[in-house]
Amino acid sequence: MRSTVDMAPSAVVETPNVTDPSLYLQGIPHGRLAQLRAIGGLAWHPYEDGGFWAVTRHAEARYVSRNPELFSSAIGHTNLWDLEADALEARRSLIDTDAPDHTRLRRLVAGAFTPKNIRRWEQVVREITIELLDEFVVQGGGDWVDMVAAPMPIQVILTMLGVPIEDSNYLVELSNYLVEGTGDAQSIPPDAFGNTTELRLLPFNSPASHALFEYGEGMRQQRRHDPQDDLVSHLVQAEYEGERFSLSEYRNMFHLLVFAGNETTRTALSHGAMALAANPHEWRRVLDDPSMIESATEEILRWATPVMHMRRTATTDTELAGTEIAEGDKVVMWYASANRDEAVFEDPFRFDVGRADNEHFAFGGGGPHLCLGAFLARLEVTVLLEEMAKRSLCLEQTTEPVRARSNFVHGVLSVGMQPRSDR
Amino acid sequence: MSDNLVRVAVDQELCIGGGICEMLEPEVFELDDDVVISSVISNGLLPRNRAEVVVDRCPGQAIAIVEENLDKER
Ligand code: HEM
Ligand code: SF4
Repeated sequence: MRSTVDMAPSAVVETPNVTDPSLYLQGIPHGRLAQLRAIGGLAWHPYEDGGFWAVTRHAEARYVSRNPELFSSAIGHTNLWDLEADALEARRSLIDTDAPDHTRLRRLVAGAFTPKNIRRWEQVVREITIELLDEFVVQGGGDWVDMVAAPMPIQVILTMLGVPIEDSNYLVELSNYLVEGTGDAQSIPPDAFGNTTELRLLPFNSPASHALFEYGEGMRQQRRHDPQDDLVSHLVQAEYEGERFSLSEYRNMFHLLVFAGNETTRTALSHGAMALAANPHEWRRVLDDPSMIESATEEILRWATPVMHMRRTATTDTELAGTEIAEGDKVVMWYASANRDEAVFEDPFRFDVGRADNEHFAFGGGGPHLCLGAFLARLEVTVLLEEMAKRSLCLEQTTEPVRARSNFVHGVLSVGMQPRSDR
Repeated sequence: MSDNLVRVAVDQELCIGGGICEMLEPEVFELDDDVVISSVISNGLLPRNRAEVVVDRCPGQAIAIVEENLDKER
């Protein structure tokens, strides 16, 4: 670990702060990130009682992502702060694991998320989307997050997992408590849902995680005897080289699947709607030529960058961009910055639905941890655009967005939209 | 020279089964449904420029060009 004493003084003085969560109430601090990109080498960014190397350019985020033997996901945590060893162990999921465990776990679940197997769920995604959009139009608009962006992904993943309709409100409630756990305030007591586990041992320090574990375990028991065509049955039956999920691996995976695609996809759908409302000529291009929906989907993902960073920890002394990194140093990839890197994206602050060769890092910079749900998330954005295009639905933004106070998820808590029929 | 044909191969030890290759070049790559590892179907031939894109985008760095300049062989 590094103290500020052995740092080049210039790095300490000049590093603009990009972690203060309240900055994000006004949106991503792009000016500060651009300053960091312009610094040669890597910038050392103070954080709590230590700091991290801020990786803000596309090329280096790519390198860190693709060299997991140098930059570990299993040490410390993949968020900015370290977890205590026992908490990390109890909470460990796919996302904070290195090979060979990671390879084994990922292969057990990956089959359900290949492009081909995700396309099987297209009709489910479409039905859910149609229902929400029709309601939005009938109501003459309202809070886009509440009416479309939030319910769509949670309904999709619950259907895929095989959660019965009558339980879905309960799981939506749990998932909302988890989202809360990523912010500063928990509104439920530590013993909610009969929880007796110390909160720091639970994902997001939330008693709702305990409830989700219990629910997932119930489903596992049930599917063991009566397998269905759903994700839980896939997890129960999955076998790779004779190995299956252990109980704690299963429940962390169930939890990750319920959570990982929710706030993220919701964020993409919210920023997507905002970008289309703010750039009506870009949406017009899509309406005139629906074959642009594919590139528009990628541009929305780049534009939204729902997950603004991920952290790794150096496994050994190494060097990147001419900067010496010591074993144990935190290395944080700022996707929010890489996705605006002027060295890679022409006119990066322009929202361009026809952008060609859009190698954005919304799903990470590649490497083994690349978002498992990437094709599902793409499908959700694409189907929404298709259904909007079918209705020639244009959006007009009626209120300023209320943004999440978070340096991690680029969240939108609410934003008013109304349908505009100029066609 | 960018459309010269080359042959690609997958190192199955490195493949993480994300399916980017299948998305980009469905004629050449296919993920096995059971073990979720990519293999080359067909003869593995691609124009060099397209081969370079999949090699570059494969998150596992599992794809390589194994033979160059196989001019227009089918
Ligand atoms: C627009 C929506 C989404 C975005 C922006 C997003 C973003 C990300 C990012 C940045 C990572 C970390 C990549 C890395 O560390 O290199 C990740 C990992 C992951 N995502 Fe997503 N995600 C989205 C949707 C989903 C969905 C729908 C699911 C599944 C149901 C999902 C499941 C996962 C899982 C399981 C991981 C861990 C993968 C691993 O460590 O091997 N995500 N996602
Ligand atoms: S893109 Fe690479 S890692 Fe992904 S499935 Fe294809 S070969 Fe495997």
